[in-house]
Amino acid sequence: MPRRVPAPLLSLLLLASLASAANLEERVVEHRLANGLTLLMMERHQAPIVAVNLTYKVGGVYEHNGITGVAHLYEHMAFKGTRTIGVTDAEKEKPLLEELDRLAEAIMAEMDKGPAADQTRMAALRKRFTEVEAQAQRFVVPSELATLYQRNGGVGLNATTGKDLTRYYLSFPSNRLPLWAALESDRMANSVLREFYKEKNVVLEERRQSTDNSPTGSLHEAFAAAAFMAHPYGLPVIGWPSDLQALSRAQTDAFFHAYYGPGNAVLSIVGDINPKKVLALVEQTFGRIPAGPPVPPVLTTEPPYAGERRVEVEFSAEPQLLIGYHKPSASHPDEDVFDVLEALLSEGRTARLYKRLVQEKQVAASIEAFSDYPGAQYPNLFVISGTPRAPHTAAEVEEAVYEELDRLKREPVSPRELEKILNQVDATLVRALRSDSGMASHLAYFQAINGDWRETFKRRDRTAKVTPDDIRRVAANYFTRSNRVVATLVKPRKREEEAKP
Amino acid sequence: MTRSAFSLLVCAALLAACSTLPSPLGDPRAMKFDPVTFTIPEVERIVLENGIIVYLLPDPELPLVTVSAMIRTGAIFEPPDKVGLAALTGAVMRTGGTARMTGDQIDEELEYLAAVVTIGIGRESGTASLDILKKDLSRGLAIFADMLRTPAFEPARVELAKHQALDAIRRRPDSPAGIASREFRKLMYGADHPLGRESTVESVSRITGEDLVAFHRRYFTPSGLILGVAGDFAKPAMLDLLRKTFGDWKPQPVTLPALPPVTGSPSPETSRSVNILNRDLTQTYLRVGHLSVKEDDPDFFALALLDDILGGNSFTSRLFRDVRSSQGLAYSVGSRLVPGNLGPGVFLIYAQTKGSTTYQALASMLDHMERLRQEPVTDDELQFAKDAFLNSFVFSFADAGLIVNRLMALEYYGLPRNFLQRFRDNVVKLTKEDLLRVARKHLHPDRVTILAVGKDDDIEKPLSTFGQVRHLTLKPGG
Repeated sequence: MPRRVPAPLLSLLLLASLASAANLEERVVEHRLANGLTLLMMERHQAPIVAVNLTYKVGGVYEHNGITGVAHLYEHMAFKGTRTIGVTDAEKEKPLLEELDRLAEAIMAEMDKGPAADQTRMAALRKRFTEVEAQAQRFVVPSELATLYQRNGGVGLNATTGKDLTRYYLSFPSNRLPLWAALESDRMANSVLREFYKEKNVVLEERRQSTDNSPTGSLHEAFAAAAFMAHPYGLPVIGWPSDLQALSRAQTDAFFHAYYGPGNAVLSIVGDINPKKVLALVEQTFGRIPAGPPVPPVLTTEPPYAGERRVEVEFSAEPQLLIGYHKPSASHPDEDVFDVLEALLSEGRTARLYKRLVQEKQVAASIEAFSDYPGAQYPNLFVISGTPRAPHTAAEVEEAVYEELDRLKREPVSPRELEKILNQVDATLVRALRSDSGMASHLAYFQAINGDWRETFKRRDRTAKVTPDDIRRVAANYFTRSNRVVATLVKPRKREEEAKP
Repeated sequence: MTRSAFSLLVCAALLAACSTLPSPLGDPRAMKFDPVTFTIPEVERIVLENGIIVYLLPDPELPLVTVSAMIRTGAIFEPPDKVGLAALTGAVMRTGGTARMTGDQIDEELEYLAAVVTIGIGRESGTASLDILKKDLSRGLAIFADMLRTPAFEPARVELAKHQALDAIRRRPDSPAGIASREFRKLMYGADHPLGRESTVESVSRITGEDLVAFHRRYFTPSGLILGVAGDFAKPAMLDLLRKTFGDWKPQPVTLPALPPVTGSPSPETSRSVNILNRDLTQTYLRVGHLSVKEDDPDFFALALLDDILGGNSFTSRLFRDVRSSQGLAYSVGSRLVPGNLGPGVFLIYAQTKGSTTYQALASMLDHMERLRQEPVTDDELQFAKDAFLNSFVFSFADAGLIVNRLMALEYYGLPRNFLQRFRDNVVKLTKEDLLRVARKHLHPDRVTILAVGKDDDIEKPLSTFGQVRHLTLKPGG
């Protein structure tokens, strides 16, 4: 072996390379267009591919009762095309879509009469609706947006709607960027809501799948509703079924025009790109879109209250438990302490809740903690979610969780536990770079929520400064009985009795 | 009030402006691009003296190293009265300590190093991985090797894993999709066949710590091990390290129990069967299909493309466009060609739809399956399916770990190393006639097994028009 680097020197070199890899900041190019669109770019030339994440600062939190589900329904509609995509003749299609809206409105009005509804008129309206819908369908080019993307090698095309954000993403070979820019800027500006009434049925099926037939989904819906009396974080993103039934195309279109302006969006592009060329392309396409109107703010704030709230959901399933503590939004200084608490309590097998409840006491089959539930932008919850291991009960799990939380108030956390958490944060930052799409999502998320993609690094540095005293203080302030909400999933009592032979 | 009126006005103005926007880049449909070109990195394959096969692909971009392992074992080899043994063995190899360290010590050290170690034994293989910062590699690899070679199976961790397994069995009925998947698998391969069976409270309760020790001893040996390393390392140093940690592991012969033949549908004389599992749900979970080819079948490529066209491609497949977009019957609908490796594969179509539209959805889905046999796909559909496959081919080589893991799996299942490249070459050549011939040979909508998990009252009558109805009952832990 000719050249052997002495071991201490070697490890120093390795540390230096870890730091520089984690030091992503220099690799991000940021630009704001005149119309307000924020563009983030990172070059990564591992393969001739690129990942794009277009994040709009809109989600369920901008809804209120009566229009719940509209943000998510619009997200579905965004795949239906524009004035030129997904349609053969938008001019001829337009009057048909408008007639459908009038018919849908008339049908709703008739239905609202309840038993007094005119059944003959209703049948005639429904018949006409079906006819017009079939006529409109003749102009539809089904899934044309997705067809163009996939034909060009696009993968992972999809979107998600959350409380704070709605995110559209895909990856594709990098030489197809012009196609993407043309399609995506068209979608931002000229979306047309076609196949609207059919898609409502699709969303109703999605609701059945994700909420009605899911014990976990049902519990979370009731939990959030109990936690937030006033703030829209208590409303389900998928929507109440009656709201979904009643939502009109005009309401959905208005929502699009209010929230989908370029100033309300963050566009993150990571991969085999030349930032200068991408910037020119984005200016040429997205840059032509006029700035949107200012986004209407969320007016309602959750009033302060004291007193534990408990809610029970009956479901033919094994028990589950959710415990939430009200906490401030992501911009509050205590946010970093909650991040550390989340890791301390539930990151890995050595985390406190897993160790105590799953390994030692064996009262729980699973246990985890997560901060920023159900969103991060507004005051939210720190949540602990668990499943009791039979024959143990949700009450035993709850009790054991409280014991661990109380311990945080009394005993200082050891320096080694904090070091471990920081090591994990550092490694997570390095691993985030492994995938273009992961990095694109990461950058756009922090830009949209915190107004600065650098937050991901700032957070790391603030995490390093969290002290055992901070943890004791935050645990004592927030993890109190009067600040919590608890939801349990229990077997249906009556039906279960009947089912017994 | 004034505020919202103002916003509406702005919206109207914005709408007018937007609708007159010309597309500065021209019609996206007419855009032409150069083919996607890329070079597939060379991966080195080395066989260590004791028989361990090693794949190495350095990639210095990030200071991380991932070591993956595949081991020739699986739940198919466990005794029928102890179903669940393989999974438990894998779980406790991860948690139960080694000859040198306790499980707790290992967890503490790995998590302090922010390293991630997984070990699991599935139905047809065992897999393990170590993902670690480069600076900690030799320490992490030593622990990882010990976990594979000398797991201690601490009794407390065996008990914990058994409790966890029993609780998971108890919770199985909570997921209707899970019920549908397991019941369909049993219908395909047989409830007692190693490819179809599931663990039960009884089978797991019977398993002892000694069973785990014996199962590990029997299958974990150098001759059954394939390792793959991707990340920031130099090949000679990595080989030295691997020899140091695994080189003195003595090989021992392994006899693999023979897999009994699968005697499932479709045989020429079977007809459609309708199987209903009554659950109090607002949706029917439909799984419809039959056994299909193994991955090494010459028709596999054509069948894969047929699957893309029928229901494999999201948004653009026939089932998505018709059953979801056009009829609004389902959020989840599609088809899947599950490649057979050790046993036969499965071709299936699936959907979740409300009780009252179960018949309509199922009829449409079967029609689409039948249509592939009746008429050739259109030129445009074929071209689209080929373009989508070929233009996204680069994503199969997007990162070093992906490439290494695929080579390991191909070797494990006895498939050629250039399987994907051959796949590509075959797809390029496929014609409409090929697809029609393969559809006629391998798709049998008249002989499918239909499984419907949902409310009896809603679906029994309409489904009886598809074939003889049989009622399934959900066994405890089913």
